[in-house]
Formats: sequence, C-alpha cells, structure tokens
Amino acid sequence: MKPGAGIQYAEDRDSKKSNETITLAVAGNPNAGKSTLINSIAGTRLQVGNWPGVTVEKKTAFFEHDGRKIKLVDLPGTYSLSPYTQEEIIARDYLVNEKPDVIVNVVDATNLERNLYLTLQLAELEIPLVLALNIYDEAEAKGYRFDLEALSSMLGVAVIPTTATKREGVKALMTAALAAADSPRQSIPKPITYGDDIERAADAVVGGLSAEIPEALEQYPPRWLALKLMESDSTVLERLGMPADSRIVADAVGHLRKAHGDDMEALLADARYAQAAGLTREVLKKPDIRKRDLTEKIDAVVLNRFFGIPIFLAAMWLMFKLTFDISKPFADWLGAMISGPFKRAAEALVSIMQAPAWIASLVSDGIIAGVGAVLVFVPVIFAMMFFITFLEGSGYMARAAFVMDRAMHAIGLHGKSFIPMLLGFGCNVPAIYATRMLENPKDKALTALLIPLTSCGARLPVYVVFIGTFFASQAATVLWSLYVMGIALAICVGMVFKRMIFRGDAPMFIMELPPYRMPTFRSLMIHTWEKGKHFLIKAGTCILAVSIIVWFLLNMPWGVENKKDSYLGQVGQVIAPALKPLGFGSWEAGSALLAGLVAKEIVVGTMGEIYVKKEEEGEKKEAPPIREELAGIVTSFGEAVKSAGMNVVSTVGIATISSDESEEKMAERMPLREELQKQFTPLSAYAFITFVLLYMPCAVVAIAMRQEFGTWKWYGIAFAYQIVLAWVVAFVIYQGGKLLGLGG
Amino acid sequence: MTLAELKPGQKGRILQIGALGPLKRRLMDMGVVVGEEVLMVKVAPLGDPIEVLIKSYNLSLRKKEACEIQVEAV
Ligand SMILES: Nc1nc2c(ncn2[C@@H]2O[C@H](COP(=O)(O)OP(=O)(O)O)[C@@H](O)[C@H]2O)c(=O)[nH]1
Ligand SMILES: [Mg+2]
Repeated sequence: MKPGAGIQYAEDRDSKKSNETITLAVAGNPNAGKSTLINSIAGTRLQVGNWPGVTVEKKTAFFEHDGRKIKLVDLPGTYSLSPYTQEEIIARDYLVNEKPDVIVNVVDATNLERNLYLTLQLAELEIPLVLALNIYDEAEAKGYRFDLEALSSMLGVAVIPTTATKREGVKALMTAALAAADSPRQSIPKPITYGDDIERAADAVVGGLSAEIPEALEQYPPRWLALKLMESDSTVLERLGMPADSRIVADAVGHLRKAHGDDMEALLADARYAQAAGLTREVLKKPDIRKRDLTEKIDAVVLNRFFGIPIFLAAMWLMFKLTFDISKPFADWLGAMISGPFKRAAEALVSIMQAPAWIASLVSDGIIAGVGAVLVFVPVIFAMMFFITFLEGSGYMARAAFVMDRAMHAIGLHGKSFIPMLLGFGCNVPAIYATRMLENPKDKALTALLIPLTSCGARLPVYVVFIGTFFASQAATVLWSLYVMGIALAICVGMVFKRMIFRGDAPMFIMELPPYRMPTFRSLMIHTWEKGKHFLIKAGTCILAVSIIVWFLLNMPWGVENKKDSYLGQVGQVIAPALKPLGFGSWEAGSALLAGLVAKEIVVGTMGEIYVKKEEEGEKKEAPPIREELAGIVTSFGEAVKSAGMNVVSTVGIATISSDESEEKMAERMPLREELQKQFTPLSAYAFITFVLLYMPCAVVAIAMRQEFGTWKWYGIAFAYQIVLAWVVAFVIYQGGKLLGLGG
Repeated sequence: MTLAELKPGQKGRILQIGALGPLKRRLMDMGVVVGEEVLMVKVAPLGDPIEVLIKSYNLSLRKKEACEIQVEAV
C-alpha cells in the first residue's frame, strides 16, 4: 500500500515541548518482566486502580526524568491484540483512543519470536515505539547472540537490551523513550508488509472508507483499520457501526477469499508469524546444542505423574500455614493495641472533653472497634499478597493450575481457582482478593461465589462454643463434618452455577508455562505494599462505616435497658419466625446472626452480650501511665515478631484450624454456655452452627467482592443463594433429625 | 491424528486447526499455526491438561482444545 495514508495520520504528532507531560505506555507479553521493569523505573510512585468498567488492574505513575514530566501507563500483559480477551481490548483501546506518545514494548529476549508477534501488531498502530529487549542476562547466559543494530533497523525503532531484575539498561531505555517522544516521526515503526495481495486489498478498504466514512480514518490509523476490518474484528466493526459483511470490505477481499479461503484472520496471523520468524532468524544466533535447562529439571519433579500432586499439596499447605501463621501474631498485636492503649487513650480524650455517654460509647465500641476490625485484616492481606506475588512471579502458579485443572474443571472452575479456595479456609477476604489471578471473568466470578462456603477462621469461635457445650465428646468429628459439608456443598453449588449462571462455552485453558525465575525482593515488596494500601484505604472506610451502623443498631434507641428493645433486637424479633422451623426461632439467635454480618465471630460476642447480663461496673481498670503504655506497645510488638518467627520455624500443629481458645476464655464463657444449654438442644445447636457456616458472607467479604468486581452483583448473588442454602440445609438437618427421633 | 493423541516425547507438525472463532484466534496468537512443529512434553498428573513445546516455549492446554488440532507425527 502507499505509505501516504499512514503518514497523514501520524502527521499531527509533533515533538513534545519540554514542559509537556510525555505519556509512555508499557506493553508486552505476560512474564516478559513488565512489572519488574516498571517497578525499577517508577518504584513506589505507582498508583494502582482498575481500568474503567472492568476489574483488570491499571497502574500509572507520574514522575520526572531528566527534567521532563512523564506519565507511565502499564497496559495489561497480552500475547496479541485480538478482540477476544478483556486485556487485549483494554490495551488496544488505550493505544488507539488515547494515543500515548511512546509505546515501550517489553520483549522477552529468551523467547523473541513469539514476543515479536505482538511487536508487529503494535507497529501497525503508528505510534512511536522503543523496544526493551528484557531478560537479556538469561538470554546471554543461554548463549544467544543478538544483532541489535539489524533488529533496530528492520523494525525502525530503538532497541535497548535490559535486565530489569538488575536494573540494567533502564536509564538507556528511558533516554531512548524520551528521544522517541522528541522526534516522533522517526520513531514510528516500519509496518510489516503482508505481500501484494493483502496490501492491495487493504488499500481498497482504505479507499472505500475514505469515500464513505472519512471520519473513521482520522480517528484510527487507516491501514490498521483496514486490516482489522478485513479480519472482521468485532469491536472495530461495532465502533464504526458497520455490518460484518459490509460491501467496502467484501469487495476488497473477494479475490483473497477465492485464493486463500475464508479465514482472513488466519491469513494475517500467518503473515505476522512469517515476519516474526524471519526477523528472528536474521538477528538471533542460538547455540547449536541446547542444554537441559533448570526449568526442565524442576518440572521433571514438580509435574511428575506421582509426585506432582503431593508436591503441590505440600506447597499449598506451606503457603497457607505461612500466610496465616506469620500474620496472626501481628493481627493479635494490632487487635490488642486497638482495644488496649489506643482505646484507653481515646476514652481519656472523650472524657476530658466531657462528651455525652453515647458519644463515648460510639467512639470506643463503634469507631475504635471498627478500626480494629479493619486493621486485623492488614497483616493477613500483606502476607497473602506476598506469597501470591511470589508464586506468580516465580512461575509456579502456572504449574499449580496445570496440576489441579482436571479436578477443578469438574466443578466448572479453573486450575488456578484452587488457591483462592484454599485461602478461604483461613479467611475469605484475602481469598476474594486472590481471585485476581484468574484472567477470565467467568472463572473469577464463579470462584468468588464459592469461596464463602469454605469455612473461614472467624466461624471457628462459634463452632467452638457450641461444640464445647453440646458435643464435647465428639468435638473433632463434629468440627470435621462442618468443613466437609462446606466443601461438598461448594462442589454441588459449583456444578449448578456452571449450568445456570455460567452457561455457554467454558472458558478456555490455553496457558503458557513460563520458565522458573526468581522474583526480585523489591518487586515483591512494592506489589505487596500496593495491595495492602489499597485494602486499607478502600475497604477500611467501608468496614468502619458498617461497624458504626451495627453499633447504632445495637445501642439505639440510646439507653435501652433490654437488648430486646434495641433496633437489633427488634429486627431479631422480626426474623425469628423465619428461623423457627430450623430450631432456633428466638429473637436472641436472630439478633446474633444479624450482628454476624460484620464478621462471623461477632455472633458469639453478641450472644454473650444478649444472654448474659454483664457486670460492667467495677471492671474498669486504671489506665497505666503513658510511659508504661508506650513501653508495652514496643515490647508486645517484639513478642509478635518473635512469635511470627517461631510459627515459621514450627510449622507443625495446625494452630489456625484447631481451636485457640484458652482455658481462661473457656471459663469466661461458662455463663454463656449454661444459657445456651437452656436455649438449644444438641440438634438445634447443630442446625445453628450449620447455618452459621453457610449463611451470607460477612461485610468485609462484601466489600472485597465489590472492590474486585466493581459491582454489587456478585455479592448480591452470593448473599441470596447462601441464605437460601443455609435455610434449606438447617431445615433438613433439624426437621430430618426430629423425624429420626434425635430430639427437638 | 490430533495433538491430544501424541505421546510424551513425540513430535508432530500441525496440519489444521479445526476450532473456530475465539478459540482458533487464541491458539494462533499463542503460536499454534499450521506448519508449526510441536513436541508433546507431558500429561498432567490427573490426565489433563497437556504440556507441549511450540515455538521454543512451553504451552499447556486442555485435551478438549488439543483435539481440535490435527497433526501428523514427524
Ligand atoms: N533473569 C531475569 N529475570 C527477570 C528479568 N525481568 C523479570 N524477570 C523475572 O521474570 C519473572 C516475571 O516478571 P514480571 O515482572 O512479573 O513479568 P510480567 O508478567 O511481565 O509483569 C519474575 O520472576 C522476574 O523476577 C530480567 O531481566 N532477567
Ligand atoms: Mg506483571
């Protein structure tokens, strides 16, 4: 095709004035080291958000380099720019609509050919481009030899070898990117030539468009647009409001169809691969003998027919233990700090200001309790993000999916779903955040819907109190039955949802198994910090609000003598009849379940408050002097660090799954137990804990789901199906048990 | 013969991709194109998915997807 049209489109690209912000868009294949490279350029200046309307992560950074203002945008990692996956559509839309000043294309030097396939598609967008030939260290170690000048001249862009992990070449890359922004016309890549047939057809399409929809040619790069139309690209057709069989295209490709068959997409893909293969042959010399590399050696063991699954399970168990054992002492420490010194300080402040009693209660039982509720999640989110990032960056995550896919696929999930589901047994909240690792929205949503059925640690205190009271002799069996019930129901519900909500094509499983690589500590820390911060800010405010609302329900109208008359009690009375067929139709049980919406362990606390009259007076201790208080904070933090360390060393003893209620706490709960014995029978107690296992996910899970999916829809579905499921299962247990004569 | 029928260690050349639409495009974008050589590396411990070496990188896919790919042994 004549180069005219392209130059026209690119004409309005002028070099940047020195005070204008330069936008750099970073694009590349997954696992090419994009995140590592960006971290080494922008570090903690990265801001994490979502692309509008979807849950794909968007990272941007604003900073200065050589006195120039720079905006760096991280595009989702993609293998291509097809219109079929969210990531690809996002990357493409951003590039054609926002027209960044320069594309920084990160290419894996150890896998040049497949990476160039994307580069060649980027080249068609007529945007200045610089190529970062990353993982250069590994390629050199393998004995690969590159002719960088040839690559640069054939593509028509600057090629900079980089090693992101050692921050080598990063400066040169930035310099090249700024130079490209300054002389854009010299930095637009040479488009690939597809051969006369295709070129002629593309020219004809451009001609047709300029006669009929000339606006389109100003909006999009003409040649790219023509090629996309020839591929019948659904999103482009839609944007232009053109039918798939539009005459402009049909006329132009008629002779191609006759010669090559109907599949234009395949024809163009073949042409791109031919070009990528040709380029690779010219610029890369590989050594003749290929050594068996580390990845193959590790995979021979890790994916072994017999050891593969045991190794996977062991790795998961280790991750689970480390996540929850490392974070627990810190969570406990934070909890103690909030309910101790911090609360005392706030109470002192309130009393100095002589605030009314209800404000004092709001501050200490509503706000501070809410802050506590947020903070105890922070250590576990940090720990979980750290391990997930490690698993992804190292390449093991793809193996985990490979090993587990068969089993998970049976219930309509993806191999990777196993990991979030497993984390769910510790806490559903990080588990929901972990669904981020699933690329396909269907896989992600179904996994998130099933996670609440994995029995999290917060439900344990409820089980423990009831099991201790009613089933002390078969405690282990009863506890075990609850976990198994959750898993069994997750399998059934998964099968049902697969047929109902997620009908249609099962998402495909076509996944690269990248070479094992060591993630940099810096990258791990930056990523973990981003996630933790995100949670603190976004989820934190919501949880605080929910906890204030519950305080309000429980304590208003102010001064209620009997909890029955509080708003919570009143709502409890309303729902009690619905719970009657399940064996626990009292307003007390109803109110406690309602309060459990915030976090399930609150069920026990609320029951304690409702059933057992508190002897509040006289319990107030004198606050220790400030200096002791501060010293206490420091020493207890030291204890937490020590205990986290100990937990890592002694990974035996399933502390997180077994009850961790101390003797002291058990004794404290005695009055509650006596009261429970009056209110429940063993059968209705079992129905009750089953209900607690299954009924609605807690508020923090709700917020996590909202954050991950950008809508309340999935939480709504989870809420609805779980309430129904919990009711039905508890009903069957209670009524069935009665029929069998197990006592009412 | 389809890709799913290759034995570990066996090599094949892709003759045809039977799939249509997104699946076909995805396969092509991952380098599964007619004429390309593939080496069957492994079958997952539970019998599915499989791992193949193509364009000098490792790719895994389910047997159901591999069945859409016609190959000849080489
Ligand atoms: N040897 C080496 N490893 C790298 C380099 N760049 C990234 N990696 C590693 O490759 C893996 C994937 O990198 P990541 O940045 O997560 O890739 P992304 O998927 O493109 O974001 C990580 O383990 C990195 O530490 C490099 O230049 N050399
Ligand atoms: Mg990344």
